[in-house]
Amino acid sequence: MTAARTALEIGERALPALVVAAFFAAWEIFVRARGIPAIYLPPPSSIAVYLWRMIADGSLAINLGVTLLRIFGGFAIAGLAGVALGVLMGMSRLVARVADPWIAALYPLPKIALIPLLLIWLGTGEAYKIVISAVTAFFPIVISTYAGIREVDRGLMKAAEDLGASRRQVQLKVVIPAAIPSIFAGLHLGMGVTIILVIAAEMIGGSSTSGMGYLLMQAGQVMETEKVFADLVVLAVVGALVVKLQRWIDRKVAPWSH
Amino acid sequence: MDVVAENLRQVWPGRGGADIVALEQFSHRFASRRFSCLLGPSGCGKSTLLQIVGGLEKPTSGTIRIADPASPSLARPLGADSVMVWQNLNLFPWRTVLDNVAFGLEMRGVPKAERQRRSRALVGSVGLAGFEHFLPGQLSGGMRQRVALARALVLERPILLMDEPFAALDAQTKIIMQEELAYIVERTHKTVLFVTHAIEEAILLGDEVVVMSARPGRIKEVLPVDLPRPRSLEMVNTKAFGALFDHAFHLIREEVMASMKQQERALSGA
Repeated sequence: MTAARTALEIGERALPALVVAAFFAAWEIFVRARGIPAIYLPPPSSIAVYLWRMIADGSLAINLGVTLLRIFGGFAIAGLAGVALGVLMGMSRLVARVADPWIAALYPLPKIALIPLLLIWLGTGEAYKIVISAVTAFFPIVISTYAGIREVDRGLMKAAEDLGASRRQVQLKVVIPAAIPSIFAGLHLGMGVTIILVIAAEMIGGSSTSGMGYLLMQAGQVMETEKVFADLVVLAVVGALVVKLQRWIDRKVAPWSH
Repeated sequence: MDVVAENLRQVWPGRGGADIVALEQFSHRFASRRFSCLLGPSGCGKSTLLQIVGGLEKPTSGTIRIADPASPSLARPLGADSVMVWQNLNLFPWRTVLDNVAFGLEMRGVPKAERQRRSRALVGSVGLAGFEHFLPGQLSGGMRQRVALARALVLERPILLMDEPFAALDAQTKIIMQEELAYIVERTHKTVLFVTHAIEEAILLGDEVVVMSARPGRIKEVLPVDLPRPRSLEMVNTKAFGALFDHAFHLIREEVMASMKQQERALSGA
């Protein structure tokens, strides 16, 4: 009975992995049986070979490293500026009044549309890639932070006041900690768009000589489809790891919100 | 500390220009070291009254005075002598039990070692020793209630304002908390203003029961409760308790009916 149950449990745990394996096996068989040219759809085995070569010759490490630096650079700027402005807006009606129309006007603008302008102003160097990703990530972060601060439970603020907290103490000891889950939600969104924008900026014609976006574009232009797929696999894995890392930090910093 | 309310009136701006009169002509002296229960239908301004006493709301008109019976001419600033236990507790979810209890001391600038020592003692006295480092979200409803009580008691303010603190508890936990509260109040000589809509609770806990009318909240009658202390749930079957209960029940019944009529009218008007 228990042996049967354990076997069942192991089966259930292994099922997702088995489905993934089956998917790649089917892909491999399909491509080989139909004789589809690798330019259109390479078999997983040769994608793996390309991936291994990129790891072995160090090109993956360098380009991935450069891309990650750009992502974290843009994210750090957007995070600091966005949280700071969001907190200021939440604390001061005056700041909120002044900033609100700007945010309302600029938030819906697709930030990719700023690329030509930024290329004119900043050239094709690092500054442009970091600025475009920071500008894009800034909006969800500032909006989420502001909303979090504004929506803090009045009851908690009143309770703090009753316990002798001054206005300043209410802000520092109640409002900001209470808003942390919203601030983190904004940072999650911000990280997502930063990744998108950095890769996109690296892909824009001739603006880059390094980074995952550059590798992708280059491989696509010479129809090295195996390499395109290998790059996509890396990006998917890195994206998943970043999300996992953020969740872990969330749980460490704000365990009460889970 | 005496709490003297004179002619309090509280009006909230309502939707569509129709103002809501929460309190009207409310005058009463809540005597020092007495346990006063405010009993009335929902929406009769009981919670508003507590917030006015605590200095968290300003009445539209009328006065509230906190006075030490030893020097009655010296009016005390509102809020300085009282502390509230909230209906929904309002614990800080990111602070541990110990840090929740220490909040008031921290705001006052009490050094860390001392506030931890005092908070730890309070946490122990409400039966939560060993749970100092838990977050409120990890505790049961009854335990959270004890944290809220400890957080208020640690400040050692003479007036305790309690807004239906046990309303959310299950029946068994409620009985235990009522007994513990009665014991703590007796030992620490607090002046208590306790809002409830449970008649039994009001009689079991109170030295007096202030019965309030439906909106606008006015005092309908003040019932002194002379039952001996310590009280227990067995008293519910005594003649004296029964007489008080019946009296309060008849007063309250009319008001609850009136309150229900008001709500019906508000709904059909909307």
